[in-house]
This record gives sequence, structure tokens and C-alpha cells, in this order.
Amino acid sequence: MEIKILDKNATTMRLMIRGADVTLVNALRRIMLAEVPSMAIDEVVIIDNSSILQDEIIAHRLGLTPLKTDLDSYNLPGECECKSEFGCSLCRVTITLNAEANEGTRTVYSGELVSENPEIVPVSDKIPLIKLAKGQKLKLEAYARLGKGKNHAKWQPVSMCAYKYLPKIEIASEKCTGCAKCVEICPKKVFAIKADMVEVRDLLACNLCMDCVEACPQKPSPIKVSWEKNAFIMNIESTGVLPPERIIQEATKILDKQLKEFEEQVKVEVK
Amino acid sequence: MIIPVRCFTCGKLIGDLWEEFARRVKTGENASDILDSLGVKRYCCRRMLLSNVEIIDEILRFYEEAEKRKESQNLY
Repeated sequence: MEIKILDKNATTMRLMIRGADVTLVNALRRIMLAEVPSMAIDEVVIIDNSSILQDEIIAHRLGLTPLKTDLDSYNLPGECECKSEFGCSLCRVTITLNAEANEGTRTVYSGELVSENPEIVPVSDKIPLIKLAKGQKLKLEAYARLGKGKNHAKWQPVSMCAYKYLPKIEIASEKCTGCAKCVEICPKKVFAIKADMVEVRDLLACNLCMDCVEACPQKPSPIKVSWEKNAFIMNIESTGVLPPERIIQEATKILDKQLKEFEEQVKVEVK
Repeated sequence: MIIPVRCFTCGKLIGDLWEEFARRVKTGENASDILDSLGVKRYCCRRMLLSNVEIIDEILRFYEEAEKRKESQNLY
């Protein structure tokens, strides 16, 4: 297997994977969506709320606020040694908010949340949580825990995780007249005209829609669009809770763990 | 009511982009260009910002007025 990083920044990553099977790539995709843990608020104790949003709505907004996650120092609540329903300092982070509007209407931002661990804070300080009119108050205590995307979408570390086959475009140059119909119709601008001939400008952008083949006045078309059997382009966009490369690494670890567990069970049963 | 924290469809964080988006739309900039420069690529996330109406501002006006009335009564 051969992996190449096509582009990468703090939240997104694009990989080219060659020599892998759909089964493996899809397993990784599903694990990234549903099994890689991340931190989110899941219990809120409202102490005082005289704002115009109901307690439930505020709790929901807090839950959806993505928090920077530290996977190494926190445990999943079910796997923590404390075995307590309430949680301990290894599986729970307390976050408090105390906001009051003293001088006119104001917006309360996620930056005002005070976390007991300065590492576990919202990804962005500028998320509007609520607006308070003069004299209104909001005071609450929230508990953030690790969780998995399969239990609630707020625990999903990725906002996009998708793969596609690597496109393969062949142009029979001797038959192409250079009419540029395919250049016009392509929604992803894959083709370009060079010296009265159509050539592939951006292969990776192709989404295999086949519009170029249909638009070509010649039948059969000199353009042949297909895809490589064992090559994929994988796109990962993190919500900011974890860097994308860490999400992939965690996904492989989880897959490995699940397979080992499966193997153990098979061994036990066969005996 | 108030800008949702995340995109309903894909879960991308969009709440923190709202204020800049609203401010720039007010200055007359093209909404599509603003979304591009904010890095909002998918149409599910774009509609979150494009179609949002901050009704909470309208409702808060009633509370602001009530507060003003209370203050003016205290003056007399």
C-alpha cells in the first residue's frame, strides 16, 4: 500500500491511497465517523437562567460546541477505572459559565466558558451561545466527556470524511477534433485546450459524471472516463477537535483493536 | 432564532462565522464571495449562513423596552 498526502492544513487533509481495497478504506471511513472518540459537553446543570432561550436549547447548543480533545489523558466513561456514573477527573471535565448583562443587550460567546482544564476549551472563542438583554442572567455548570459519533453526532470528530476512486481519463488524440465541447460542459473544469487538442488539466477534480463523454459530438467518443481499481482519494475535514492525521491514526488503532478482539473470540470458540 | 452552532447536515462549525458574515453582507459585499473567503465550501453549510435570520434580536427588543420602562418609572 502506498499513501501520499496531497494537501493538508490544520483541519483538512486529502490523501491518495494506492493498492488498498474498498473494504479497508470504507472500514476506516466508518470508524472515523462513528468510533473515534472526542470531547463534548453532555450534562448541563442550569443554576440560573433568566434568558429568553429555554434550558434545553442552551444545553443543546453547549453540547454541539466542539471542544479541543486530549485523547491521551482522558478515558471513555465506560472504560474508566472509577466505574462511577458521575465520572472522575480522568473521564470528565467541568466547565462553568457565569454571564450577566449589566449594560444593555450583549452576546455571550464560547470564549466565556471556564474550563477546569485549560487544554479542554472550545475550538473557537467566537461561537455565539446566547444573547442576553439587560438584567438577564445565565449561570450553569456543564460536564464534558469523551464519546463516540455512533451515540451522538456531537461526538463526531469529522465534519466530512469521504473517499472516491482515483479517476482515469484517456483521450484518443488522433480522433479528437478539439471542438472544446467537453471543456465547456465539465462542471469541475478537468479539461483544457492546448494546441487545438483537449488535454487533462486537473485529473483529481474529476467526479466521474461522464458529461464530457456525452457532450462529445463524435460517437463513439474519443474520451474514455473510468477509474483505477485500487486507488482512492480520501478527504477528511476535522471539526477542529483533533488534527486530521491524529483521527486517521486513532481509526487504525481502533480497527486493529476490534480485529484482535474478534480473533480472540474465534480462537475461544474453535477450541 | 439564533445562528446554529453547527451545520445541520454535515456538522461543520459555522456559528463563529456568522458575525463576520452578517457584517460584511451589510457593507454590500457579495454573499457568495464572503462564503468563499470564509472557507465555507459545501452548499449545506452555505445555506446555514445564507438563510439565517436572527429573530432573537427582534424578541430581545421587547425586553429592552420593558427594562427602559422600568427605569423611567424608577425616576419619578
